[in-house]
Amino acid sequence: MTNATDTPKHDVIIIGAGPAALSAAIYTTREDIDTLLFERGVPGGLASVTDWVDNYPGFPEGIAGLELGGNLQKQAERFGAVIELGEVLKIHDEGKWKRLETTSGDMLARAVLIATGSDYKKIGVPGEAEYYARGVHYCATCDGAFYRDKRLVVVGGGNSAVQEAMFLTRFASHIDLLVRSSIKASDVLQRDLQKFVDSGKITVHLDTSTDEIVGKDNKVVKVLGTHDGQKVEFPTDGVFVFVGLKPNSEFLEGSGIEMDHIHLVKSDENLQTNMKGVFVAGDIRSGATMQIASAAGEGATAALKIREYLEGHEHPVQN
Amino acid sequence: MVKNITIFTTTTCAYCPMVKKYLGAKGLAYEEVNLDQNPERQQEALALSGALTVPVTVITKHDDTQEVVVGYNLSRLAPAVA
Repeated sequence: MTNATDTPKHDVIIIGAGPAALSAAIYTTREDIDTLLFERGVPGGLASVTDWVDNYPGFPEGIAGLELGGNLQKQAERFGAVIELGEVLKIHDEGKWKRLETTSGDMLARAVLIATGSDYKKIGVPGEAEYYARGVHYCATCDGAFYRDKRLVVVGGGNSAVQEAMFLTRFASHIDLLVRSSIKASDVLQRDLQKFVDSGKITVHLDTSTDEIVGKDNKVVKVLGTHDGQKVEFPTDGVFVFVGLKPNSEFLEGSGIEMDHIHLVKSDENLQTNMKGVFVAGDIRSGATMQIASAAGEGATAALKIREYLEGHEHPVQN
Repeated sequence: MVKNITIFTTTTCAYCPMVKKYLGAKGLAYEEVNLDQNPERQQEALALSGALTVPVTVITKHDDTQEVVVGYNLSRLAPAVA
């Protein structure tokens, strides 16, 4: 263990730099609360890799996810938030201090906000891991450009799957959308999707499971599925998977912080976890609605609750 | 020692600015090849990386050996440009 006097100290360490984290940082830094954020991926989180965001308040025409994420980052940095590119590996409760093991060494914080969000889930079928990034993808805005005039399969029926399938029509000649049961996307997205179905760019296959991704000569060539008990196959050049979200909470295993059965972090009405001084906001919180707007709102709430918590304890740190 | 760096990007890729920002913070110059604007260079990116994804960062050393980093992967990128 590092000597506590040598260990960098902060009033607040926020784990993550998505909408919940950056919104919290805007609030804490505006109040001169010393705040450090840790981000292992891209600031803005999943919002930044989403093609277009139509339901974030204040943007009547919608906004590109990348732009929204960038704006949130700029706003937090304007007030003094510092984003460290790295990863928090473990949290230890040492009473008034929380010790964080990070890729930049140990750090101490008086309060911690867990806002690590979620990543896209994998389907878990043969061929998926084998062809990862060589025909199987989870980021349309990153990898879609490699499929100009090619056929694609998109797996999933939620908002992300429908939104990203429509985005991929910029490149692909045709898209088969494989939906395990029924479309769960919002009515607005379903209406937009219908336009692409009518134009022949997207074909929706309901009640169709994805069983295997098959390749030949190091390339994906088809997807095997099941519909009505019958085997079906879809010739394709690539597969984009959007079948739900997986919480980024692995690093909390063994920390003593309570999680629910799907590894989302439990909190009380103050967004505080069972570890005093450790708060949670956004997609990673059990009960979250998985919306960018609600993540931002939870971030703001968490920041105010953290301020109350800090005021009830000791004076801010002197580095 | 690094001789030159090329980054293959696309316009909508969120991880591409992160690589550029990292290299910029290190004071390293790079050439950017945007594959939306230069689709004819996609095969080159694929041949170098073996992956249909961006960002792809190609670091050419002074002895002309090359290191290719796929994605925004600081644990590989940092030592490659050190």
